Amino acid sequence: MLFAASTAIAASPEHQERHFAVQGHPVVVLQNVVNGRIEVKSWKNSEVVVSSTAAKDKVAIDMEQVGDRIDIAATSTVAAGQPHEVEANFQLTVPEHTELQLKTQTGLIYVEQVTGDMKLESIAGDVHLKEVSGYIIVKTTGGSLVCTLCSGKLEFTSVSGNAQLLQPSFTNVNLMTTSGNILYDGDFLRTGIYTMKSGKGLVEVRFSGNDSFDLQAKTYSGTVDNQAAQFMQPEQHTSRHGNKFTRVLNRTIGMGFAKVEISTYSGTIRILKRD
Amino acid sequence: MHCKELESVLEAEGLAQLSKDARLHLATCGACQGYVADLNTIITAAKTLPTEVNPPDRIWISLRAQLEAEGLIKEPVEVAERFSWWEGFGAWLKPRTLAAATVAAFVLATAIYVTRVPRNNPPEAAKNQPRVETLSPAQTQAGVSVQPSSVPPANSGPSPAPVPSKNNKELAPSPSESASFTLDQAELDVPNMQLAGNSQVDIALRQNLRTLNAFIAECELHLKQNPQDELAREYLNTAYQQKADLLAAMMEGGRGDN
Repeated sequence: MLFAASTAIAASPEHQERHFAVQGHPVVVLQNVVNGRIEVKSWKNSEVVVSSTAAKDKVAIDMEQVGDRIDIAATSTVAAGQPHEVEANFQLTVPEHTELQLKTQTGLIYVEQVTGDMKLESIAGDVHLKEVSGYIIVKTTGGSLVCTLCSGKLEFTSVSGNAQLLQPSFTNVNLMTTSGNILYDGDFLRTGIYTMKSGKGLVEVRFSGNDSFDLQAKTYSGTVDNQAAQFMQPEQHTSRHGNKFTRVLNRTIGMGFAKVEISTYSGTIRILKRD
Repeated sequence: MHCKELESVLEAEGLAQLSKDARLHLATCGACQGYVADLNTIITAAKTLPTEVNPPDRIWISLRAQLEAEGLIKEPVEVAERFSWWEGFGAWLKPRTLAAATVAAFVLATAIYVTRVPRNNPPEAAKNQPRVETLSPAQTQAGVSVQPSSVPPANSGPSPAPVPSKNNKELAPSPSESASFTLDQAELDVPNMQLAGNSQVDIALRQNLRTLNAFIAECELHLKQNPQDELAREYLNTAYQQKADLLAAMMEGGRGDN
């Protein structure tokens, strides 16, 4: 079944709302190439509601539904060559199981209580996730990620953005930032693999007394500040040593079920145990 | 003449020269008039289509950086060329068959990159490097915390910097050097580019480009002295990839305005 509805609203009113009925797990693709915020929340209904607020006569918002996929695009209608500091803000209400692909320039991306794979991209805007689950890919240039009570798998890459994972339940985490900081404050699941890298920033890990993982922390010219040495033993499972350039700290916490690899080129690695 | 016959005539001879019989039938048959109108619409629409669609610049940047990082292509493009490298590269690969082959090569290069086993055997040049005193794994494991003040980094302190061996000098430009050169060439156009026309985005892009350049310079300097440092190489390769993505984003924004 193919149902398509398309609107191009160059001279749109400031607020617009569209409803899209869906049957299964919808895929929502939103590309916002002007400034503005994207907020996504879930509900029990099989319907996607898109509310947008855009500067009148300066932003064109296109929406199209093809089956369970909903494509939304916001573009500037300001003449080429002119500065376009225009804004379009979106509020999406989606079924709990929804796949998201959101891209924006500067505004915040906020997603709450959505389960499904998601790819979230931003240049300067931050990404805040709360109670989100799935295979999550976040890519920013300067924007930071704050992830609270999230689960599944997470990949984060950024040039200068920070990443904060608070009370996470991820089975697989891969974080990389060139100059930003990383904070992981939560448990490591038994079969999980966690990789955290920062070129020049601080990577801080706060684990709990119940955690069980093998830790490798390595740096070239940075600092490894291990404030939980009394809870660790020399690593017992593998012999992952450094070379003559890299300083490596290998430790086992508990039985060493999970695998945690932390590295920084010239920043700081800090390891703490939560009270 | 019947409708089927007119259809055959149109297929064989087109709309330009219809026989008298065909024209008579067409004048009286509504279905055939509709058919001819549809044909005219298709022909008109086809004429408005571009003959060749060039892929975006970012494809060429990412592609070339990836191929050079893998050492699959090594020849740097002449700096004095009238056109920037990706224009020349794009022109060379314009035919669609070549473009498809290039995409296949790119996929292959990516597959090699993903599946490649980390280099366990350092090159001869690397083996000839003088050893630099650093913290041994045993020392590291024994200590509660490792502070740089107690152990200076390999390229700092009073020890003389390692001298590249003769073998090192004879090596062709490394994949990293080629990737760096390619990205620097792409960056040459950035100062003249209007970027996204959005000050917040432009500032963020330029600031992050500076951040990446500083980090790349730091890693490159270290790797020139210590080419076998895997950690530095890993960070450098990631920074190259991020720079390629950043330049692509800049060009995409710039093109959107033009």
